Amino acid sequence: MDFTLSPEHEALRRLVREFAENEVRPVAKAIDREHRVPMENLKKAAKLGLLGVPFPQEYGGMGAGETGYCILMEELGRVCTSTATCIGAHIGIGAMSIYLDGTEEQKRKYLTPLAQGEKIAAFALTEPGAGSDAAAIRTRAVREGDSYILDGMKHFITNGGFADIVTVLAVTNPALGARGGITAFIVETHWEGFKVAGAANKMGIRGTDTAELVFEDLRVPEENVLGRVGEGFATFMKALDLGRLTLGAACLGGAQAALEASIAWAKARTAFGRPLAHMQTIQWMIADMATEIEALRSLVYRTAWLVDTGRPFSREAAMCKLYGSEVASRAIDRTLQIYGALGYSREAEIERMFRDARIAEIFEGTNEIQRFVIAAQIFREAGVRIRP
Amino acid sequence: MRILVAIKRILDPSGMVVNRRRERIFINREEYFINPADRHALEMALQLKDREGAEVIVVSRGPARPGAEAQSDASARWALAMGADRAIHLQDEALLQADGTVVARVLAAVVERLGAVDLVLMGRQALDGMTGEEGPRLAEVLGWPSVVGAVALEPVNGSLRVVIRSGEGFQGLEVPLPALVTVDREVNKPRYPQGRRLINVYRDPEAVEHWTAEMLGLEVGQLTPLVQSRGRAFPAPRTLGSRAESVEELAQALARYISPFNPLGNG
Repeated sequence: MDFTLSPEHEALRRLVREFAENEVRPVAKAIDREHRVPMENLKKAAKLGLLGVPFPQEYGGMGAGETGYCILMEELGRVCTSTATCIGAHIGIGAMSIYLDGTEEQKRKYLTPLAQGEKIAAFALTEPGAGSDAAAIRTRAVREGDSYILDGMKHFITNGGFADIVTVLAVTNPALGARGGITAFIVETHWEGFKVAGAANKMGIRGTDTAELVFEDLRVPEENVLGRVGEGFATFMKALDLGRLTLGAACLGGAQAALEASIAWAKARTAFGRPLAHMQTIQWMIADMATEIEALRSLVYRTAWLVDTGRPFSREAAMCKLYGSEVASRAIDRTLQIYGALGYSREAEIERMFRDARIAEIFEGTNEIQRFVIAAQIFREAGVRIRP
Repeated sequence: MRILVAIKRILDPSGMVVNRRRERIFINREEYFINPADRHALEMALQLKDREGAEVIVVSRGPARPGAEAQSDASARWALAMGADRAIHLQDEALLQADGTVVARVLAAVVERLGAVDLVLMGRQALDGMTGEEGPRLAEVLGWPSVVGAVALEPVNGSLRVVIRSGEGFQGLEVPLPALVTVDREVNKPRYPQGRRLINVYRDPEAVEHWTAEMLGLEVGQLTPLVQSRGRAFPAPRTLGSRAESVEELAQALARYISPFNPLGNG
């Protein structure tokens, strides 16, 4: 078993690490305070090809596969969860849904500019009445001649306020539900009937745009159906499945950042006449953190290998998201404890990391849903079909 | 215009810890990178390429992490990914023990073998040796004019206008080509390698040329360093000074300190 990363992946890690330290870190605090998206950095990242890391070079991507994409998310997640989230939503679910189920023409028309970072993508699934219960969406798409007319709304859509291309899930046949009644569409946001109605005011990842989208008589040509009519639910689930792995990678980065911050503080801070590093309580907290991070690292990169070698990965990807989000939460919680009152102060970065980490247990499929996904796979293999 | 940029792959000093009490340097994290000043030199060359269409060839030297010998040319690859047209890695055990004279000899042989080189750029000094001798030595062997510590460059009609730092300000020089110029740190912002180019360069085993001393026609005798390292010692610890309580007292103390050195005697 060769656990080494290939030279190109090591080089990619170095590139993203430098980019993250030199460009992302200096504005991380400001974008959180000022509640704005780091547009300048998204542009710089686009120029370097970072907005198309996993996609093949023939579609304008970097051709670094899922492993490369995990590296990107880990290194960005280590420095700024908001930036990682903007880029992750663009690559991992927005553009990815087109890569997984798009026709050749759709890939050439939409995926290439997205991979090259000339356009930004978003993924619109969630509605006020449909979060975990994704099949309960109400946005309607009615066939009219050679188009579909979309009516409805979505909320909590990352990048929704400034994206150029949004993949939208809508009901084409209310009677059929998730199987046969839901279709995915590629929507260009400048079209008549597409409106951005507002943005969520969030606890954390305040450097992201989380928009409310409204569709009013939005005409979508039939060539923009993504995947097959009636099979949109499967298309969207495929993208989310894969997105779980890379969210796990971003959590790995965040947990790593927490560990590094804890180590630095344990070295620097003295109490009772010696650095905290000499105290068993602190040593154990750090050892526990490091152990979980190491386990998560193996899980994430092995799952990336499963994807890159065409093997089934759904269960492992759900595990990456589940375990990753919880490891990151535990790590930043312990780090806050190690920093004590200073960690609680808004002058330090710990409180931002704490607020940012929390969303990971909720979005991209709550951890409860992840547990269901994992259990469903396990029980199916044992011959039992369970339902949420 | 053909520019040769000489880069050195060195141990990242941020991975080292100095233990004064035990008079030892511990390498906690063995990572290598391109000597920072060399990166600025490469960026300067690439900017000339952008503006004037120059050809940029990089020659790298330096070790690999034990167990990762195949990656000793990683610095050359990074330079290629940044936009250099060609990259050569000097793959030779003997070069790892080289001193300034050997490095100058080897790089001069590279310049000869390449032919038609108009300008050699390199960092002013390397973070590990900090002697700053490689550039001037190489210029001497080549018989070319050299400029140390450039901040900006501009080719003008077969010669080169160079700005260097001088005292509190700057000085402008004009030097005929071919010439060697060493570049100061922090004079520009080295660009990031473009992602796709990076992936492709690192994937292609043939992307970097590997040259040996034998290929350059150098014999063992020419690769033997003149300088022998006999040991290492730490600078003596700084002693605590004394504190003057008033300006009077300070003046008296200074006078006492200076007077033995005053050739004019007292007063």
